[in-house]
Amino acid sequence: MRTSKDIDGPLETPVRFVFPQWSNLLLPTVIGAILVVPIYAALVLTYGLSPVTHNVGYMPIQPIPFSHKIHAGELGLDCRYCHNTVEYAAKAAIPPTQTCMTCHAQVQPESEALKPLWESYGEGTAILWQRVHDLPDYVFFDHSAHVERGVGCATCHGRIDEMDVVFQTQPLSMGWCLECHRDPEPNLRPLDEITNLAFDSLRDQTAQVRRGLLDISHISPSEDCSTCHR
Amino acid sequence: MNTLPRPFLFVLIGIAIVAMIPPVIIMRMRSTNQTQPRIHWIQDMDNQPKFRAQHANSLFADGRAMRQPVSGTVARGELRADTHFFQGIANDAWATMFPDQARETPDLLARGQEQFTIYCTPCHGPIGYGDGPVNQRALAVMGDPARSKGTTWVEPKSIHDADIIAQPVGQLFNTITNGVRTMGSYKSRISVRDRWAIVAYMRELQQRETANRANAPSVGQPNNQSEGNQP
Repeated sequence: MRTSKDIDGPLETPVRFVFPQWSNLLLPTVIGAILVVPIYAALVLTYGLSPVTHNVGYMPIQPIPFSHKIHAGELGLDCRYCHNTVEYAAKAAIPPTQTCMTCHAQVQPESEALKPLWESYGEGTAILWQRVHDLPDYVFFDHSAHVERGVGCATCHGRIDEMDVVFQTQPLSMGWCLECHRDPEPNLRPLDEITNLAFDSLRDQTAQVRRGLLDISHISPSEDCSTCHR
Repeated sequence: MNTLPRPFLFVLIGIAIVAMIPPVIIMRMRSTNQTQPRIHWIQDMDNQPKFRAQHANSLFADGRAMRQPVSGTVARGELRADTHFFQGIANDAWATMFPDQARETPDLLARGQEQFTIYCTPCHGPIGYGDGPVNQRALAVMGDPARSKGTTWVEPKSIHDADIIAQPVGQLFNTITNGVRTMGSYKSRISVRDRWAIVAYMRELQQRETANRANAPSVGQPNNQSEGNQP
């Protein structure tokens, strides 16, 4: 708001407008912004949209607090005891309630945590397990093709035997798949170590052995679109 | 030193603070596990309105997209009329021989060992004495009132008991297929041929352990000395 002082003062005599001294800072500020903003935007977009940011670490809450650490880790159950379709089917199926009941019909049947299991067993309803590793619907990944050629469970799923609640450890992005399809050797293991989650392809065998595995299983993965997108 | 007027300064500081928010969110997402559903920025055709194995489908009463065979029907190739191969019954008695589809070859034995290790070892132990890790844990759970929660565990049998050794192969096959006493059925998990492979490997184990027990005193070795050896 103008005061009488403003009207009486400078307005009466014409003066030249002089840029205040701080305006010297504007030019470096603008140049700095032109340099920094694109870099900032690129970094935020790259990391913000990356599958490593969004998909790795997804750990949904399951209807039953099933612990892979106890079952696969401490008890040492083979992955195939429950996910038995993995050797001949595209999908490593979630086991039916009956598989759980092999033991839990007798072990801790009155446990509060197992109530949904008994409900499912009695009424024939499905337990709504939440899917952790989910590929886009236009990707046709085949478990058997990988498991039968020396790509172990741990390569894509990590140390499930150390997880109480399973979470995703790999990005499962197309770039990540192609990395291995272009150079599968570091991820190969002997067929009898497929479900051994503690086995490390790089640590526990020499490069010569891995190259041998390439030849034994005649591995030359395709990079054609139609290999995965049918 | 002249400085920017205050309003300009505040705006710049404000922009700098707001600009920190996305990197902080990204760093947090990358360093912690998330229980809430993923944010899916670019949908493409990632989630299509179609049903694949084990998907849910609210159109059906049971909520499953996968359907059961219509009752009273038999799918092609699923008649399973060969009672010897599919049920272990030959001439109205437990089969004493292996069926033609699963002859006792080294391949079958190797497969049997693998399948035995996956499905039988948890309870029956690596050699079949009934001392598997599940048995040990179940006994520990049953003995601990705080964890028991109604546990009634019957120890798995040793496959080296005389009555098991005396069983014909068809009966062993039937036990794996349909279960017995507290042991569950494995027919949905183990293929028919693999069940015969397990029976073949069990016979191999029984013969080896019987031979070990017979030889042990004369050789002067503990009779479980060869337990770690696998063919």
